[in-house]
Amino acid sequence: MTERKPKNIFKDGPIPASFIAESIQKHSTQKAIGGHSIFLGQVRADETEKGVVSAIEYTAFEEMALEKMHLIREDIFAKYPLTCMHVHHSLGTVEAGEICLFVFTSSAHRKAAINACEETVERLKAELPVWGKEIIGGESHQWKVNR
Amino acid sequence: MQVKVLIFGQLTDITGLSELLVTDVSTSNELIESLTGKYPELATAKYVVALDKKVISQETQLPDNSTVALLPPFSGG
Repeated sequence: MTERKPKNIFKDGPIPASFIAESIQKHSTQKAIGGHSIFLGQVRADETEKGVVSAIEYTAFEEMALEKMHLIREDIFAKYPLTCMHVHHSLGTVEAGEICLFVFTSSAHRKAAINACEETVERLKAELPVWGKEIIGGESHQWKVNR
Repeated sequence: MQVKVLIFGQLTDITGLSELLVTDVSTSNELIESLTGKYPELATAKYVVALDKKVISQETQLPDNSTVALLPPFSGG
């Protein structure tokens, strides 16, 4: 396997649908691919005791997160016969209804792509030093808890 | 002897800042003790400690100019 360098996964602000569409389009040249799996995380307008969540403000220990993401990527590529994997996570403010996470795996056959996508999402939510501050009504806040 | 401390997530609500310099501590426990003295609410906060981007689980000697990060539970995605 060729060695992969740590890639930057962070993107300022929400991930536009057009970016996701372009990312899918770019794979049309890779004709060994038979299946893609995509996970999109969207900011939910949770109702809390303090009010409704209007946005999440993401921060990260970026350097550590990129090193950790690199290790996750290596593990996933060792475990599944993937053609490629792309991960994008928002930093800064993402309004409710906007996309904050985009995980995209591709393989010759569907199962590897689907399982790798799911495992990558679970691992990055548990292992990356990223935090979400839920903004409530523009004035109050609480810190997001992953379930 | 100087250590850079990075504070993240909900812990910044306690400290009011995301970065500080601490001098005259030689181990991770001494550092935490010093920080908890300054910010008593840290005593009950939940977090792990990373020394130069690696999580440590026991008392560790801190090299000069190292970076220690206090990481509350992750909530990305």
